[in-house]
This record gives sequence, C-alpha cells and structure tokens, in this order.
Amino acid sequence: MKKRSYLALLLASMMTVSVVLTGCGGSSAGSAAGTDSASQAESSASAEGGADEVSHDEEMTIEIYDVAANYQGEQTGWFGKVLKDKFNIKLNIIAPQVSGDANSLYQTRTASGNLGDIVILDNADMQDCVDAGLIVDIGDVIGSYENLSKYSEQINQFNGSMDGVEDGSIYAIPCQMNTNGPTAFMGITADSAPKLPWDYYTELGSPEMKTIDDLLQVLADMQAAHPTNEAGDPAYAISMWKDWDGTSIANVQQLCYWFGQEVKDSVLLGSDNSITPLTDKEGSYYKALQFFYKANQMGLVDPDSATQDWNAVNSKMKEKRVYLHWYNWSVDFWNTPEHGENRENYMYTPVEELHFYQKADPYYGDGRVFGIGSGVDEEKKARILEFLDWYASPEGLTYQHDSIEGLIYTVNEDGTYTLTEDGAKRFTADIQVPEELGGGLWSDGNDQINQWIVHGREVNPTTGEPYDATLWSSTIENNQTATTKEWSEKYGAENEVDYMRQNGQLEMVANINIPLPSDTTDIALIRSQCGDLVCDTSWRMAFAADDAEFEQMWDDMCTQLEGLGWSELVAFDTEKQQVIVDARIASEQ
Amino acid sequence: MKLLHDKKKWNSFKMFLYILPFLILVLIFAYYPLYGWVYAFFDYKPPKPFSIDDFVGLKWFHSLVENEVKINQLLQVLKNTFAMSGLSLATAWLPMIFAVFLNELSCVPFRKFIQTVTTLPNFISWVLVYSIAFSLFNSTGMMNTLLQNLGLTTEPILFLQSSDHVWLTMWLWSTWKNLGWSAIMYIAALSGIDEELYQAAKVDGASRMQRIWYVTIPCLLPTFFVLFMLSIANFLCNGMEQYYVFQNAFNKEHIQVLDLYVYNTAMGSGSYSVSVAISMLKSVVSLILLFFANGLSKLVRGESIL
Repeated sequence: MKKRSYLALLLASMMTVSVVLTGCGGSSAGSAAGTDSASQAESSASAEGGADEVSHDEEMTIEIYDVAANYQGEQTGWFGKVLKDKFNIKLNIIAPQVSGDANSLYQTRTASGNLGDIVILDNADMQDCVDAGLIVDIGDVIGSYENLSKYSEQINQFNGSMDGVEDGSIYAIPCQMNTNGPTAFMGITADSAPKLPWDYYTELGSPEMKTIDDLLQVLADMQAAHPTNEAGDPAYAISMWKDWDGTSIANVQQLCYWFGQEVKDSVLLGSDNSITPLTDKEGSYYKALQFFYKANQMGLVDPDSATQDWNAVNSKMKEKRVYLHWYNWSVDFWNTPEHGENRENYMYTPVEELHFYQKADPYYGDGRVFGIGSGVDEEKKARILEFLDWYASPEGLTYQHDSIEGLIYTVNEDGTYTLTEDGAKRFTADIQVPEELGGGLWSDGNDQINQWIVHGREVNPTTGEPYDATLWSSTIENNQTATTKEWSEKYGAENEVDYMRQNGQLEMVANINIPLPSDTTDIALIRSQCGDLVCDTSWRMAFAADDAEFEQMWDDMCTQLEGLGWSELVAFDTEKQQVIVDARIASEQ
Repeated sequence: MKLLHDKKKWNSFKMFLYILPFLILVLIFAYYPLYGWVYAFFDYKPPKPFSIDDFVGLKWFHSLVENEVKINQLLQVLKNTFAMSGLSLATAWLPMIFAVFLNELSCVPFRKFIQTVTTLPNFISWVLVYSIAFSLFNSTGMMNTLLQNLGLTTEPILFLQSSDHVWLTMWLWSTWKNLGWSAIMYIAALSGIDEELYQAAKVDGASRMQRIWYVTIPCLLPTFFVLFMLSIANFLCNGMEQYYVFQNAFNKEHIQVLDLYVYNTAMGSGSYSVSVAISMLKSVVSLILLFFANGLSKLVRGESIL
C-alpha cells in the first residue's frame, strides 16, 4: 500500500516538473545565445579597431535580429559558405516576420536586454532601443573601416538627427545608401504607374488617354473584348486585396502617387512639399477612391476584391486575369521574354493628366538601420564590424546583388557583367548550386538577411555599372523584345522613366531618411482605431451603390474620425512629416 | 515531530502533499499572471523598461468611454458579443441531443464513422476553415457556379462580403466545427448510466423515445448544467480567431466581438496597456456572470457547482 502511494507521489511530481519545463521551453532557448557570447568573452583578448587584427581561428555564431528577413534560422547554402570561408562566422537569423507574433517577440527580446548581436530595425524602433541602452556605440572605431567610411556623410547625418546621441557617437548604419547624390534616380520604371497588356491595348487602336476617366473607358473596352483569360477563367480590369492595408487601403495609396502625392499615415505628402490631411476632399486619396468606385460602377472590379488576399490576386496576375497593374514589380509575374516577343507584356500606357510622385534612390538610406547589440564583447564586436565593412565593400556587394561569378553572371571583355541563362531566371526557377560552391538551391542559399547597407543602384567601381543586374547594359539589351521595341518607337523614348521625364510627368523628390519619433501609446491607439475606420469605410465606398451613398459614407467617416481623435493624429503626423519636408528642401538647395 | 507520531495528521499531510504540485501549478499559471494587471495602470511601451513615472491611473479605462463615438463602438461590440454568445448558449443542448441519438445507432462501424467525421473539424484551424469557405463561396466558387448553372442566379452572390445574418452564419460555422467535439463529454457520461434503469423502463413498457426522455436525458442533465454554467462564465470570451479570419470591411460592424475588438484596437498597434484594461473588465464581468449563474442554479435546481 505504502509503495503504491510513493509511486503516485513520484508520478505526480514528475508530471509537475514536465509541465513546468515545457512551459518554460521558449525562454530557455532564447537565453542560450547570451551565455554563448559570455563564454567567448573569457577565451579571447579584446581586439580594438583595425579590421586585420581579427583572428578567424574560432568559428563564431552571430545572432542577427532582422525585421526584413523572411527566413528564420541559420544562413546556409552558397552565401553561408562565402561567410564561413571568409570570416569563419555563422549567421543565426531571428526573423520577427516569420515568428508569427512580431510584436511580442520584439517585446520579450528587448525586455531581456539582448535583442541580438546585429540588429536590423525600423528607424523609430532603433531610436527607442538606443534610448533603452540596447545598442552599442561604434563612433570610436567606425572611422578605421574603409568601406563603411565611404558612407560617413550619410551615417553621420542620420546619427546626428537622432535624439540624445552625442557628437561623435554612432549607433546606426542606414540601409540601402548610395553615393550617386541625394536626387539621383537610376531606375527605368516609376514605382507606381498604370500598366496595361500591350496586345490588348494596341488591339483597341492604342487610344490616347487624357484623364483617368479615359483610362477607365479603355479598361472597360478591354474587359468587354476579353471577359476571360485564354483558359476561360473570368478576368477583371482591376483586382484588389485587403491584407496589406494599414492606416488606409494599400491599393488606393498606390494610386495617390499618380496624383503627385504620397500617403504617409494620416497625411498626404505632396511633391510640391505640401502636407494635407488624408481626409482632404481635394486630395489624392479621395480621387483614387473615386477611381475605384467608378470602376466598380462600370463592373471593372473583381467582386472578390474585399475578401481575397494577396496570394489569390497574385495567382490571378500570373494567369492574366487582371488588366491594370500599378506596381512596377507586379508586372513581372506575367512579363517574360516569351510574352514580350508575342507583344503580350504589360507596359506603361501614358495618361496625360497624371504626374507621378517618385522618390529618388535612397541616398540617405531607406528607413531601416543596422546596429550592434550592446550585449557583444570586444572580440565579437570587432568581428561583426569586419563583416559589416565587407558587407558594404565592392566584393561583398557583388555577392549580395550579383551572386556568384560563373554561375549567375560572366565577365565580358570590357569588364562589365552579363547574366547567365540560369542567372536570368534565378528568382523564378530552381537553380541548383554546385556542391563546391555550397550546394542546394540558389534561392535557399541567397543572402537571407534580405537587407543591404548599400543599394543595388550604387555604381560598381569594377564595372562602371550599377550592381543591380536589371540595370546592366547587357541585361537591358537582352530584355529588348517586340513589345519594348514597338513601345519605344511609338512613344519616342527608351523606357518609361525616359518618357515621363520628356513629358514632364515625373515629379522627383529627394529621398530623406531621418529617425522620426515613434508613436506614444495614445497616438498608437488613435492610429489603430482611425486606421480601422478609414480602411473599412474606404472598402465600402469603393463598392458603394451610388454617388449619394459614396458621399454619405465619406462624410460619416469624417465625423466619426473626429470622435476618435483624428485631428490629434493629423497634428502629430504633420509635425513629423514637416521635418522630412524641411530636410528635402535643404537637400535640393 | 509531533506530526510524525500522530498517524491521522501525518496521513492528511501526505494527502496534502499529493495535491501540492497542482496547487503550485495553479498558483504559477493562474494567479501569478494576474500580476500583469498592473500594466493597465501604466503607460507601458516596449522597449522602455517599466517605471513608476509612467503611472497613469485609470486613464485607459476612461479612454474607452471618453466620447459618444467610442461608446457607440463599444456598445456595438458588446451587442455582437452577447448576440453570438447568446446564440451558442441557446443551442448548448445540441451536442447533448447529438450524443444521445448517436448512441442510439446500433450499427457500430457507422456510429464510429459519424463520430470521427463530426469530431475532425475541431482539429482544423480557423485559417484553413476560412480558405475552405473562400473557395466554396467566392464569386467563382462552388456555390455560385452551382446556382448559376441551375439558372437560379445570373450575377454571383458575394456571400462572404454581406453583413446579412452574419451572427447566424458565424454560429453555423462554429457549430459545424465544434459539435462532434463537444459531444464527447456526453458520450462519456452516457456510458456511465446504469443499465438497470433501461431494463426497468423496458419492463414497464417504455418505448425507445420514452426511454430517452425519461432515463437518458435526466441522467445527462447534471453534466449539461456543469458545462452550461462554465460556458456562461465564458460568455464574453468567444475567442477571436474565427471572427478575425472572417472579418472584412462589410461585415465588421456585426462581427467584431470583444476579443477581436481588443486585438484590432490594441494588440495590433502595441498598446498593451489598453488591452490589459479591457481584458480586466472582461474578467470582472465573467466572474459576476458565473456567480449569477451559480445562484440561479441553486434557486432552480437546489444544487450549486461552486
């Protein structure tokens, strides 16, 4: 009897222990990295400054908290091999986007005092983390790193505009910088512009379009002529999706660029440096909503728009079931050399009244920054800096943007690069990497940090051309198809941006990168409540039954917004954006 | 030492030791988290460490009802919560009846099959349920294609986009998902009913329906009442996943329940303090409802569950 009761007690306590252990599993795994770096502190003397003093004898794992990453875990494949061979380091990527609950991951890691060895954050979060002492100051050593020093103007400008950062201190290195100048723009397409299938457009006789109402008419004719795709699935001129919405509908925001404005949360930032509330009836947001409403009245909007997600639309784009594209990258789901030869590619079709708001290349950075966590010891700090310096060097940039010589590109006689056959389809097909280069699929082994200190539009000193393969003269030459030739002939321009420049349709603004204050708790609450209301009403307005209902919904929304504290939010955002506008004016002088 | 000599006391101490691990578990997982309630009285924003300077008192509670627009919003949310919880409470007897009839099936393989098929949906996540719903009910989905092929409609009906009968459709979805699973408790209770009762009823000439009505149901009622009481305590917590995946601009006004409201307004924007404030209110209301239901049960049935 007694034995049995002891047994019961034993079982009960075992159960307790196991439950407690599983309950705490997450946190014990999270702290493992911390002890790791502590043990390495004992084993090595500190290495101050200079990149060449660092020893690579011992393999080191660097934990990188990366808001841009779409992959969590160790960097493997060909890029992993490059890092292993060059620096004997392993990257362990922590990706809040993949973790499922980005907010709570950020909260728990910041609360533990160790966000990561390298951290990549949005500007505002970086400001908070510097305030909280989570980032180490590298101002004393960064000057000895040759490649990072090339960007010292931008790095100093950014750190100088952070709150509470002393002169000479450097905490953050902006992402995507270049040295081409603050207003340079190397791109050949605008970020957002109306693009139609070239065969259907020319079939209608390439009608000239003066206003966006003309555009709607062309779309209506197109949809009437081709109500389905070739497979017989219903096609619509416009298909929208809801899962990218923020303070307002993401799809509508894209059309605001066409009217020379950019949606910045609750305000509209004009290319003329004006700042107006989103709810301005003269503003582009209202106009863009009206465009979608009219389109729906004409039966041009996919009825599933308000309930489907991006993946659903994406597959429709791949099947040519959507006739109007606005993003310059979304056309690539259809545009291919073969479709181009058949004159089927989507192309920019000029609409006279539109003026496109276009940001210059991110000279000052793009809104995200690199930093080094304050938990690292001197040795680790030196090795991280060595890696980051390489990450900004011509060699590192060639690996990041152009990948491996021989496999992805070949070097021409004049020193410029040409994409190999595999290289041209590296983003769409499964490219096998030879075992000696790291093995596996190319895309799995690609740089999973997914964020670059230097932009692909930076000019590569070895080739004299940008790193970005789409801008190589060889690629542009190879991408000439029947569609582009016909287009260039008709419009007398080399490419979309060239046409827009010639016709005064491109409104360039300098790309300013300044750490802006993050929301206070009050503002964050107002923002999310107002955002919900704006998005919901916008969707209902796009599907409104008639003009009266459309107007009624807008007015109701404005009244309700006031109750939720909209004016406070607009004041907050206006003040925030004014700093950008001032910096923009200063950089243009 | 005296304890060791007094055999009776030692025995009861031993008994106490048996439950001690569970008491500790309850303390750690049920009471310790209550400490988190302090966040409701602070202006907390990660990564800034928690500090006494950020004490804001009842500000967040007040901000929920500071003007008419917000009050209306909250009332609408409560209305949705009560309506949908009410619907599921009013139909709480369904799993019991389902279990009873399932038990009456004499072909065992068929019974097992039905039970498995109805239990399975419980293990499908709401995200997948929505993708099933989307492929069935979108403009080119099975439902619309069927209706159009039969010539009943010409234009596709946007089922998911309409706010009509949204409470009812949400109830249908959750019933489809939960019915089999909830019936398990009753099926277990059914096997505990004394066979002699049935035999006695048979001898007395009771028909099959009469046996269900006079023997099975009364024997299941205690189980039913316990579960019913617990679901009353959960009145305000109808979960958010289901409503989160089904919500869109057109039905949000009628689909937004309290849990979803907390998520939409606070969690999404990182306003932890506000979400804590709302969930505190929720816990208090749930507690009151539980005691109310318990009192009612005492009054009506003469026994309480607490």
